[in-house]
Amino acid sequence: MILLANIVAIFRKELQGYFGSPWAYVVAGVFWLLSGAVFFLVLLGESGIIQEVLYNESLGLPLPPVDMPYVFLLRFLGVLGSITLFVMPLLSMGLYAEERKAHTLELLATSPLTNWTVAIGKLLGVVTFYITLLVPVIILEIITFNAAVPPLPPRVPLVAHFGLILLATAVLSLGMFISSLTSSSIIAALATFVLVIFLTALDMLSRRLEQPFQDAIAHLSLLKHYENLVQGICDSSSIVVFVSYIVLGIFLTAQSIEAFRFERS
Amino acid sequence: MAGPSTPNAIEVEHLSKTYGTTAAIEDVVFTVKPGEIVGFLGPNGAGKTTTMRILTGYLPATSGTARIAGFDVHTQSMEVRKRIGYLPELPPLYPGMTVTEYLFFVARIKGVRRSDRAAAVQRSIQACGLEEKTETLIRKLSKGYRQRVGLAQAIVHDPPVIILDEPTVGLDPRQIIEVRNLIKGLAGDRTIILSTHILPEASMICDRVTIINQGRVVATDTPENLMSQMVGGTQYTLEVNHWQDLLAPKIENISGVQQLEVESIESPDERQQLQVTCTPESEPGNTIARTLIQWGVAIHEMRRTRPSLEDVFLELTTQEEPISEFEAGPPSSEPDQSERLGPESPHADADKPKVQDPVIAAASAASNPAEPPDAQPLEPTSEAVINSTQNAGEASA
Repeated sequence: MILLANIVAIFRKELQGYFGSPWAYVVAGVFWLLSGAVFFLVLLGESGIIQEVLYNESLGLPLPPVDMPYVFLLRFLGVLGSITLFVMPLLSMGLYAEERKAHTLELLATSPLTNWTVAIGKLLGVVTFYITLLVPVIILEIITFNAAVPPLPPRVPLVAHFGLILLATAVLSLGMFISSLTSSSIIAALATFVLVIFLTALDMLSRRLEQPFQDAIAHLSLLKHYENLVQGICDSSSIVVFVSYIVLGIFLTAQSIEAFRFERS
Repeated sequence: MAGPSTPNAIEVEHLSKTYGTTAAIEDVVFTVKPGEIVGFLGPNGAGKTTTMRILTGYLPATSGTARIAGFDVHTQSMEVRKRIGYLPELPPLYPGMTVTEYLFFVARIKGVRRSDRAAAVQRSIQACGLEEKTETLIRKLSKGYRQRVGLAQAIVHDPPVIILDEPTVGLDPRQIIEVRNLIKGLAGDRTIILSTHILPEASMICDRVTIINQGRVVATDTPENLMSQMVGGTQYTLEVNHWQDLLAPKIENISGVQQLEVESIESPDERQQLQVTCTPESEPGNTIARTLIQWGVAIHEMRRTRPSLEDVFLELTTQEEPISEFEAGPPSSEPDQSERLGPESPHADADKPKVQDPVIAAASAASNPAEPPDAQPLEPTSEAVINSTQNAGEASA
């Protein structure tokens, strides 16, 4: 009960921080600009889905019927996942680095809070901020899917967006750990970018390797599991992998903050 | 579970902390009773901050134990954290929050119940004089106000033990006075431990002073006791001429006089400086003056100096390298000495001869023979100055 109250206290502080900081609005602006542009291009652009279908129809090729909303969802969320991967370091970079810079870790460490509480509260705060970033994008999607005949079963986009949020949370959790290692936000952001590139590389690698390595690496690849969820395949193993990454990030963060106290002179 | 059955608010036993091979503190022992204000005094780098961080549970000790309200700071950290308010050396503030938001946040994480929070925040805002700044972003506050917000943060949950690391550092003199009054106002049933390197501050605020140097506690007592025990009694400094050495026994025999030191000063009329050390609580100044005049000695200046906490402090913290400032030598032999002491210390400016301080002026005049002799300042500034223009010839038989 007290634990929950403490998590909520940290969570509220983090959210207050985001909505009071100009930097968060810049990140939001960039995210909305990119996702809006992608939305437009995927749907209506020259190589967008509608143009593609029209082109195929004009050729009069005998094609299987296309489930347009589903194809759109796959393509759009594929790109949105990549945007998320590259925007998340900007959100996670300040989580602990800023605390270290403002010497407020000393306040947190001498308050009746555990490191876990602080880490969970912070992660919840930043994930909530990410979800707010998604809201306008989801509104666009709702409008689009409402126009689709026959309508897309709601389960598919729900699972897909759940996957997107899990992907973001996993990256933010690892980014939080990186942020806890330094008092410079810039270094934290750069290191998290490197991590994101590594995750992407892991995914590419998993497509090229031979068996049995392919399966092993594919199983660790966040992007692979994200892909499954976007397709509407809600596999419990995918969720386990995401949750493992998230818990790992929180665990490492709590440990690094504990170690930070021992090391400092 | 160790309850608060122990009568001491803070109990520190044989605490040591080493970083690699360097010992930050060694075998620190002290206790603080509930309701006491204890000053932790020492030069920079003496281990004050380290000790305080161990007390708050922020740093683990290498060996030894510390208890706050009967709870071990390491093994029962959460119980300790509930009971302390801590102002670190640099106030832990979120620049993007307003003062009220910040204090509400601290109240929340310190476990103040929702129903009490508004009152607690209001109370600490009032105690720290922040009423006009409640809706200001911390980023926009001046240093003095930030320090006050730091203090407000330390007391918002009304902790029984308050730990303040250099609470007045970096403030202007008026703010220092305000913060000191604030700390004194917090006392009562709360226990306060504060560190400082400003000596008058410790003697002004604290009931007891613990002096720490190079990681060791060198003395613990009330400021008054420290002064009287460690340094002894009053001293008189006189500047005279027509002194004769056979007068020494006459002065030494005056009751209350403990020691007499005579030293020549370079001046056109061959003056001497007398240092008369007296036993505690005796004031033979009048008798000394009368005796000297009676024997035809011309007194140009007479000054009474009382021991200050600074003297105690210097004596305790510089045993290895005795200070040469008052021995008429070039006073710059220990350049860091002036840094260690706060700006309020008269010793701090000992490197530069101060016109107001005849002793130092005389000392530096002695070490600078090139200086024109009549530049020697003889301003009567002290409590008792007797300028004798008496013709000394007749009585000097």
